Amino acid sequence: MKRSLYILCVAVLALAACRKVDYTTIDQPAYLRVFNDLNYSQTMENMNSLYPSLCMIIDPVLDADGIPTGGKVVGDFLDKREAYAPPYPSHVGNSTSVQNPEYPGKENVLVGPILNGFDLSSWAQVPSGKLRIMFLYRPHTSTPFFELETKLKKNVLIDTTINLSAKEVYTLHVLQKDFKTKRNGLLLREESFHKLPLSDSLAYINFYNYSANGFFQADISQKPQEIPGTDRLGLFITGVKDSMNVFLSLFERQTGNVLSPVVKNYNSKYLGTVVRNNETNKVNPYYSFPLWADPKSDGIRTDIWQNLEFLGLGLDIANRPNIKSPGNYACVYFLLNGKSLPPAPLASFIGLNGIPRPNLLVSLHSGLNNPQTFATVSTLEIINSNVYLTTVQRKYPTPIYK
Amino acid sequence: MKINKYVYLLYNCLFLILMAGFSACKHDDYTVKKSNENIRLAGDFLKNNYDYTLFYAALDYTGILPQLNEKGPFTVLAPNNKAFIELGIQSAADIKKLNRDSLKQAMALHIISRSLRQSDVPVNTVNVEYQSLAGVPVYVSFGTKNPANPDEYEWTSVLYFNGSRATRKDVQLVNGILHSLDKVMKRYPGKGVQQWLSDRPAYSIFVSGLKKFGLWDELAGKGPFTIFAPNNQAFTNMGISKADIDALDPGKYIGPRLFGAYIQYEKRYFLSDLNAFSFINNQNTYENFTRNGNSYFKWYAYGATHTISLADRKEFPSVGYGQSIIELATMGYRMDNLCDNGTVQDLPELLVTPGQALKK
Repeated sequence: MKRSLYILCVAVLALAACRKVDYTTIDQPAYLRVFNDLNYSQTMENMNSLYPSLCMIIDPVLDADGIPTGGKVVGDFLDKREAYAPPYPSHVGNSTSVQNPEYPGKENVLVGPILNGFDLSSWAQVPSGKLRIMFLYRPHTSTPFFELETKLKKNVLIDTTINLSAKEVYTLHVLQKDFKTKRNGLLLREESFHKLPLSDSLAYINFYNYSANGFFQADISQKPQEIPGTDRLGLFITGVKDSMNVFLSLFERQTGNVLSPVVKNYNSKYLGTVVRNNETNKVNPYYSFPLWADPKSDGIRTDIWQNLEFLGLGLDIANRPNIKSPGNYACVYFLLNGKSLPPAPLASFIGLNGIPRPNLLVSLHSGLNNPQTFATVSTLEIINSNVYLTTVQRKYPTPIYK
Repeated sequence: MKINKYVYLLYNCLFLILMAGFSACKHDDYTVKKSNENIRLAGDFLKNNYDYTLFYAALDYTGILPQLNEKGPFTVLAPNNKAFIELGIQSAADIKKLNRDSLKQAMALHIISRSLRQSDVPVNTVNVEYQSLAGVPVYVSFGTKNPANPDEYEWTSVLYFNGSRATRKDVQLVNGILHSLDKVMKRYPGKGVQQWLSDRPAYSIFVSGLKKFGLWDELAGKGPFTIFAPNNQAFTNMGISKADIDALDPGKYIGPRLFGAYIQYEKRYFLSDLNAFSFINNQNTYENFTRNGNSYFKWYAYGATHTISLADRKEFPSVGYGQSIIELATMGYRMDNLCDNGTVQDLPELLVTPGQALKK
């Protein structure tokens, strides 16, 4: 009797706790990630240009005066892109600011699934098909776009249509196409990484140069200045030439302030050529290096770090410390966790001229192993004076505890 | 025992004195006086503030004042008394000597017909236009080193109205907002830079030089221009008189250097723009070539000190021709004369002498 009373109580409670939830769903979604690559700095020469903080509206609803009042998808507070786009949308947990370094980034929207072993949680689900998309300048404040005064809602940057296919992965760039005319535009890249037979034991990276036409050729006074306290620009400050050879070096772990040896066979290894192109959306080939390139690694963890060097065509990588001419040499070093300076041996040269980005390998706790190293798929984009690294999250194998 | 008795008496006395003290308090004033809520209407606020007596007198004289006690909202850009004294206006009596209509136009420029707090202005943007009661826009520039929190420290941001710095920002009024300005905004509606210069005898030598070298007529055009106009004193300092300029043979001198160097074409700058950009992106130098490309113009701002110089080329080794230093603290009132097609700045020194502009 008493027992059945308990059961009855629990049943009543359980039923009372029921709630019908209508989940938001999008039929036949496409997966979209948006970067605001407008990294120009406002100067006395282009003084009336606006700070590049944007609001993206897909399928906008306009009032009689042509001012947006809403839309199907709204990505507000789209700020200048950050130098590193992490594999997981961690921005939301790392700051209290509303400014969003990418879309979806901090937005609470439906995101992509795990597709062929790639976690698409940094890609938002958007309706597929032909979509009207608008980007509007907005002031760099915390007021939502639609609450701004009318005057500030009129600055349309781009108003165009894009065509998205269902279940495809897209990266959309808002960028400056021409430095001289200040023409801006979109570049919609249909990603292919989830369709390629990529190996778990190789780390992949590909390169793009999306710099504006004429940026490198422009006078230095027109280009961004390095601002203390913000990202370093290194030798990329002048931009690089339209065609650059790319060389990869791998280095062993840095312990203290001693030379860290180059991993055998990975000293300035030629990878390929990157050609400036911000008009076509072709996916550039991926280059790879083995996760266990260092023979001393144990197959569980490795603490190699990488260095990528960009060298003008026809120049010899062996002469790198003598290269002084702007645009002919620039480098990026991918540091180990917790390091802020490049390790030796080229510390004095690379550290002075290069720019730091996070390591291309991810080391984290997995089961019995702490840490275990995993390979990533990354994209490096040179845009005018800046270099952006995007790392795509791969689905890691299940941790083994026994 | 006896001592105890005295102590007891002393306590009693103290108690009595204390009671007397309490009863001496006046109770009828015990309630807190209710403050006058109307005092913060824009007009009343200015009336009650000793730092704006001249601005108040000007508003009173021109008849704008009653409007400022209306519902609003307004944004009052109030130049302090120092700003008026710099212009030679020492007292309310001096204001009454001025032309009422032109003063009304000038004062109406200092009232924006909406509430405009610093936080309403887009961050790190220059030349945002806001309509004033004068019917012409005021150009607002707002630069900060910390867009997330512009008011973190006093030095984190700057706010300018037509080149005048807001020294005290966001004073809340019943019917609007007040910003205190360090100088009076000068706007000459209906006048171009050419007209402005020809109206002022203090620039007559510069004007005759521009005419002589064929640079004058263009200044009547659309522009916009920024003219760093050396005053007659600047020429006199170098021992150059109007007769000397009139006697020059244009065929022997490089005109775009000798007089063209003072003109920035297709650019309209307030001096404060460079200060604003030093906040926006650390740019405190503006450089370009003169029109014929053979001289290099450099404008450098370090706080309130602006240095303008001319050299023969950009790269080292370059030969400097001359430089002129503008101290905004003492000369600011002569700057930022906003005309329909540009601004005129007053230069106290020449950038180049005729001898340095001889054709070889």
